[in-house]
Amino acid sequence: MQLVSEFLRNVSFCQDLNEAARSKLAELLISKKISAGAVIFREFDDSDCLYIVKSGRIIISKHVQDQVDIVLTRFHTGDFFGEMGLFDTSPRSATAQTETDSVLLRLDRKAFQQVFSDEPEIAARICYRLVTVFIERLRATNDQAREAIRWGLEATGFSPEPQRSPFGRRST
Amino acid sequence: MADPAKLELLNRSGDAGGFEIVQIDSLHAYSAYKPRRLPESDWEVTPQPKSADGTRQFVLRNLRQDSYVLLNAGEYFLWNYFDGRHSLEEIGRAFYVAFGAFDYLLIRQLLGKLYGCGLLESKRLLDFQLNRGAMRDSRWTTRLRWNWMKWCALSLRVPHADRVCSLIYQRGGFLLFHPFTFLLSAAAAVCALALALRFGQNASSFAYFLKARPWLISGVMLATLISASILHVLVHALACKAHGRRVRELGFFLLQGVVPTFYADVTDIFMSSRRARVTVDLAGPMVEVVLGSIAIVAAQAVSAGLGQALLFGVGLALWESALLNLYPFNFLEMDGYNILADLTAMPMLRQQALALIPHLPERLLNFKSLARAEWLQLAYLALCLTSVVIYVIVHIDALRALIHFS
Repeated sequence: MQLVSEFLRNVSFCQDLNEAARSKLAELLISKKISAGAVIFREFDDSDCLYIVKSGRIIISKHVQDQVDIVLTRFHTGDFFGEMGLFDTSPRSATAQTETDSVLLRLDRKAFQQVFSDEPEIAARICYRLVTVFIERLRATNDQAREAIRWGLEATGFSPEPQRSPFGRRST
Repeated sequence: MADPAKLELLNRSGDAGGFEIVQIDSLHAYSAYKPRRLPESDWEVTPQPKSADGTRQFVLRNLRQDSYVLLNAGEYFLWNYFDGRHSLEEIGRAFYVAFGAFDYLLIRQLLGKLYGCGLLESKRLLDFQLNRGAMRDSRWTTRLRWNWMKWCALSLRVPHADRVCSLIYQRGGFLLFHPFTFLLSAAAAVCALALALRFGQNASSFAYFLKARPWLISGVMLATLISASILHVLVHALACKAHGRRVRELGFFLLQGVVPTFYADVTDIFMSSRRARVTVDLAGPMVEVVLGSIAIVAAQAVSAGLGQALLFGVGLALWESALLNLYPFNFLEMDGYNILADLTAMPMLRQQALALIPHLPERLLNFKSLARAEWLQLAYLALCLTSVVIYVIVHIDALRALIHFS
């Protein structure tokens, strides 16, 4: 447990927590080994927990068509994902899959809600950090949307230059 | 230039969870892109007469949004392949086989034109994104060009112009295009010409009357020329209706961004024959010819004095206006220019000639390699320049004479 608590130092949403708080949080986490290529959760699955990457690499993707997904992002050691599941009961918005053998730490919504009621100060610190991460991810999503549009424009030859005056005849 | 944008795709190979990551850059996708034009019911294409160099152009009309685009033979070839089944790579290969050379720039430019006219299936959302993006460009040349385009596009328009013109045409406008009307107009013009030659002997007395009331004369002249100008464009529009084509707009704008004038947008006449286009071009100036003739004939009917001088002056001004309109070499796209463009089957003659100017020294040094179409463009440029110089010289002399007289 001490090792997990030490590890949490490097997890962004735990950075404002003192050692005691980290230890309390570490007690709530469930460790899970997953082999490469395994699906952690699929898009539209029920969502009720957050995962912290203890080791390995996770790929987050969203279904596009048939067997093809678009890769949204990758998570490495110290990153976390699935945080929407802590606050929201809506289905998962993307699929998470291991790219290499990985170890994950799982934090259930119920356990997190317990922290809220028992340790509001710890909960507030975690939430503050989470909001910062949400903002960063929102910015990254905007950049990704821009990049996807640029891709579409370039791939279809759509020119951003103002169009030349169209052909026509105005008799005067 | 920025690196091509990349998309990372995760390709699932089965239920076991296996996958591979594929990175596709936009240039790769571009060559695999299969442009799809609108369904055939949404556009029409009309081949134009062969131009001086033996090539043929095509006018493509988008029936959904009533926009037009002019295609050369190569672009028309590409257009025929934009059926959603051929990739740009395949199209490029086919083009190379047909024409012996190919540059992707051709396709890029054509795609730009077609997107601009809404002739390709595309996402409308992108239009908004792009226009906003183009406006954010801070380069002053881009802004200047943008503002100039906006300035040139300024216009006042009659709402539902085609419906208005159809009504006028049905309720008597068609009589203007009856052969009897033409004969009557020709007879009036011949009579007026004979009378004008006779009135020429009284020029000094007419000048005396006209100088006596300069404000009245200027007001009457201005009102007559403006009224004639409105009738002029209306008759262009009615001639277009006489050939069963659509009048897109009727209104007031700045010709080439400079000359304020009334106009009728008769682009749809390109979907008809060359003869129809020339008829539409000629119909407008006929208004000034006929009204001028009527004024001169009327001058004969009134007794000598201010009234006669005024009618004669108005008649001559209207004839001069018709002549100016029919003169093609003034860098302006007036009726004479349109007739010239139709007769040479070069609807973009002025633009092509102006585009030739920056390359003029280089092209003239290699004059043996000039195509027939380029010779025509050069001749147009030379005649326009000569005309402008003569016009300026004549008017400087007139100005000097006026200063000397006063």
